[in-house]
Amino acid sequence: MTSTSSKQSRVSFASLTENNLGTVRKLNSVLFPIKYSEKFYQDILAPEVEDFCKLVYYNDIPVGTISCRFENKDDQKVLYLMTMGILAPYRSRGLGSKALEQVLTAAASHKSKVDKVYLHVQVSNDDAKRFYEVNGFVQSSVHEGYYKKITPADAWVLEKQVN
Amino acid sequence: MSKALANKKVLPSREAGLFKELLNLYEGRQLKKGLKTADTILKKFPEHGETICMKGLVLVHMGRREEGIDLVKKGVRLDLTSHIVWHVFGLIQKGEKNYEEALKSYSQALRFDKNINILRDAASLQTQLRSYESLVETRHTLLRLRPNLRQHWVGLSVAHYLNGNLKEAKVVLEKYLATLKNVPSHDVEQSETLLYYIHVLEELGEYTEALSLLDSHSRNRDIVDKTAISETRARLLTKLSSPEASEAWHTLLERNSDCHTYYLGYLASHGHPIPPSTPSHPDPDALALISSLTTEFPRARASKRLGLVLSEGDEFKSRAEEYIKGSLVKGIPSLFSDLKSLYTDNAKCTAIEEIVERLQVEFKDASSSPKGSEEPTTYLWTLYLLAQHHSALGRHSKALELLEEALAHTPTLPELHIFKGRVLKRAGDYWGAAACVNEARVLDGQDRFLNTKTGKYLLRAGCVKEAGDVFGLFTKKDAASPGVDLEDMQSMLYLLEEARAHETNGQPNLALKKYMAVKRIYNEIEDDQYDFHGYCLRKFNIMTYLRMLKWEDTVRSQAPYVTAAVNGANILVASYDDPEIVKSLAVAHEQLSSTSKKAAKKAKKKAAVAAAAAAKMGGLDGKTPQQHSNEDKGLEPPTAKDEDPEGLKALTGEGTPVLEQAWKLLQPLLEVGLEENVEVWLAVYDVAIRRGRYLQAVGALEKAKKAGGEEHPEVHVRVVDLKQRAATLSDLKEPVKSVLEEAIKKLYPVEVSPETFNSQYLQKHSQDPKAVIAAARASKILNAPVEEVDGTVFSLLNTDINLSVKVRSPSPPLFHLYFRSDVAMCTMYRTPWSP
Repeated sequence: MTSTSSKQSRVSFASLTENNLGTVRKLNSVLFPIKYSEKFYQDILAPEVEDFCKLVYYNDIPVGTISCRFENKDDQKVLYLMTMGILAPYRSRGLGSKALEQVLTAAASHKSKVDKVYLHVQVSNDDAKRFYEVNGFVQSSVHEGYYKKITPADAWVLEKQVN
Repeated sequence: MSKALANKKVLPSREAGLFKELLNLYEGRQLKKGLKTADTILKKFPEHGETICMKGLVLVHMGRREEGIDLVKKGVRLDLTSHIVWHVFGLIQKGEKNYEEALKSYSQALRFDKNINILRDAASLQTQLRSYESLVETRHTLLRLRPNLRQHWVGLSVAHYLNGNLKEAKVVLEKYLATLKNVPSHDVEQSETLLYYIHVLEELGEYTEALSLLDSHSRNRDIVDKTAISETRARLLTKLSSPEASEAWHTLLERNSDCHTYYLGYLASHGHPIPPSTPSHPDPDALALISSLTTEFPRARASKRLGLVLSEGDEFKSRAEEYIKGSLVKGIPSLFSDLKSLYTDNAKCTAIEEIVERLQVEFKDASSSPKGSEEPTTYLWTLYLLAQHHSALGRHSKALELLEEALAHTPTLPELHIFKGRVLKRAGDYWGAAACVNEARVLDGQDRFLNTKTGKYLLRAGCVKEAGDVFGLFTKKDAASPGVDLEDMQSMLYLLEEARAHETNGQPNLALKKYMAVKRIYNEIEDDQYDFHGYCLRKFNIMTYLRMLKWEDTVRSQAPYVTAAVNGANILVASYDDPEIVKSLAVAHEQLSSTSKKAAKKAKKKAAVAAAAAAKMGGLDGKTPQQHSNEDKGLEPPTAKDEDPEGLKALTGEGTPVLEQAWKLLQPLLEVGLEENVEVWLAVYDVAIRRGRYLQAVGALEKAKKAGGEEHPEVHVRVVDLKQRAATLSDLKEPVKSVLEEAIKKLYPVEVSPETFNSQYLQKHSQDPKAVIAAARASKILNAPVEEVDGTVFSLLNTDINLSVKVRSPSPPLFHLYFRSDVAMCTMYRTPWSP
């Protein structure tokens, strides 16, 4: 964190509950061009994903969110990063990296072994791709026609092995 | 015959023993056994009054109230010279909260026996009723009977104190302390007594004596409350203008450097008394003292805030900038309410605006990139502060503009949504306001503050049912309704807001129910002090007790009670003036209930079946449950079933005439220091003039005039009303007649007709919407033609009228006001069919 003496920045995370879901909805509605389903919101409340779905607080104000789900792929247990976003005025302050680090640490120490973490990035979104690459992700493929309602419809698939 | 009489009263030894046992059984609340014992005595002596009373008392405790009370009354009649029967009767009356009658019974009992228990109860009743002269007498008797009890000495002193006789209070304490020997140190009771003694001396102005007493006893560790010692010491030294005073205050500041009072004390001891709650009191010397304290206690905010009061001009500007900037960086949400009291000083208000606007520009750049010197949250709080600033000055659009920017910046801060709602509310858009506040609520469903705000704003928009649903998320699940639980929890906010909503929705009957509920809560608050009259003296919590009594004396001057009483009285007066209101409400209710009658019938049937089943399960046949007969139901009557759930009976005056109800609401307001409150005296006038209490009415109107000024619109309406009514009064007796005429002359000094008087008033205040409405109402009182009254009301549509003050619309056509651009945001005049 860059922090000068006059600045005070406190970063913290909170688990999702029925009660703060409204904040997650509010954040998603301004961060992403997609409207998420009710099922999405029910799933991120499940106790087994508690360590992987968080609200990000900056100086006690919720400014971002991260959410994942477990998938089973070719006998591997993988973590799929569904959403991650920080409100524009709070970007480039290390919040995204901290959130990602939180999730990766949780994945590494998870009781059932997690093999890798993967995610989709819209092919127009170079900034996002660079962010994940800096954090150790590599592009594995391109998923053509991944997005149904937004263009460009293709998405990069990025992944990172969990040791 | 005398033998027969004696037989009735004096029991033979076997029965006398049984009676003693009965008393013991009652004390131990062994009700079932007690009843049996009483019956055994009564088998032989069916006319024994004391036993009959005791049996009645036991029955009341067992829940067989009516039967019990009948017996008690019978017992009293049979034995009028027994202290026991009167004591029992007094207990029953006390249970009914009928303190006056209970005291009478206790006094009867005391005529026949100076029983210590009866004396104590009587003392409690006398304190409750504030008959302090007789309290002194009772305490005196108690002390004479048992001078070895410490609490009797203190009790007598407190009685003198309450009776306003400080000298006697002191004398009793002196004598009491002289009798004490070998009091261990660290004795809390002794400590409290000494603090009370010192307080008495301080009130008598004997500061030196008080101080030496304080010093010697704190050295001996007789006084254990360390904070009280230091505070009293500092206060006394200041009153004595002692050079040690400032040192004493400084000691206190070392303990708590954020206590505003300590700073004021410190300054006063240096010869700089600061009037409380003033926005500006420039004093360079005091400022220098405060500055050095700020250096000494850098973490304290109180001294920095005080610096804003003591400075002006450029000094103020630089101090305010530092203060505001620090708070914004720290992210203190309540910063604006902290600063608001400075706004009564225009120069300071302008200076704050300049500062915050400059900071907004500065922070906007400094926070936009991660390399900047400020945090994004600092900029966010700046926008929030500036929006609050503009809104407070009535600049609603400017405030909304800033809030939109803030919400685009960070849409997840609940404060922003709440405040946007508040701005819309101030601009008159109640529905929009409720929607905004609800946005904040869904951000954090756990936050009861956000929940309550949403409920309140929904009520402001008249949505009673929706508000109930929102409140219901936090109220007890097994309560009959959210409203019932909130009433149990004594939520004044809920009761007053829902009452207001019912009034807006044209249901004054339901509104009155809520106002009456507020009144009931205040009755409870007053009743609640009863037990402390005995308890506090027994436990020697004297100072707290005295403060509580003082608080209870003026508890009815609190805003919730005043609002409930005034608005409730207004509703009652309106229905007195126009009985059609109640009739149409009753008709509407009838129609509504006939449609839902079928459903109600069904529900009733179901309830009856359920009750029958429950009765069967309990194996009862309609008689009093014998199994539970030892359960103590207490002496207080159970809450009666609400016979008037719609409040229509209250409004028609069934039971108690409406004006009597209104008067009962207002009466407690007369002597609790509300001289400045126009609304109170207007309501008193309205009720008094209709009850034919003319002198009381003019007295109230004079007070209203004094509080609000003679040009006050509502005062104007009453003056016209009084003049109009006076013309029809002919059969008044002297001296009322001449006193009334004299008073009217003072209130209405001009020689013109009421009509001219009214039109002169209208001309003078044609720009003031409230005055225009008042003139219209006055001309209605004067029986002017409808067209003329309407004409006056519609003149409100003229654009030269300043509508920055919102008017509650007395007539539906006013919704046309929304065509005026300066009230464009206001939705309160719109009807469902207007665009």
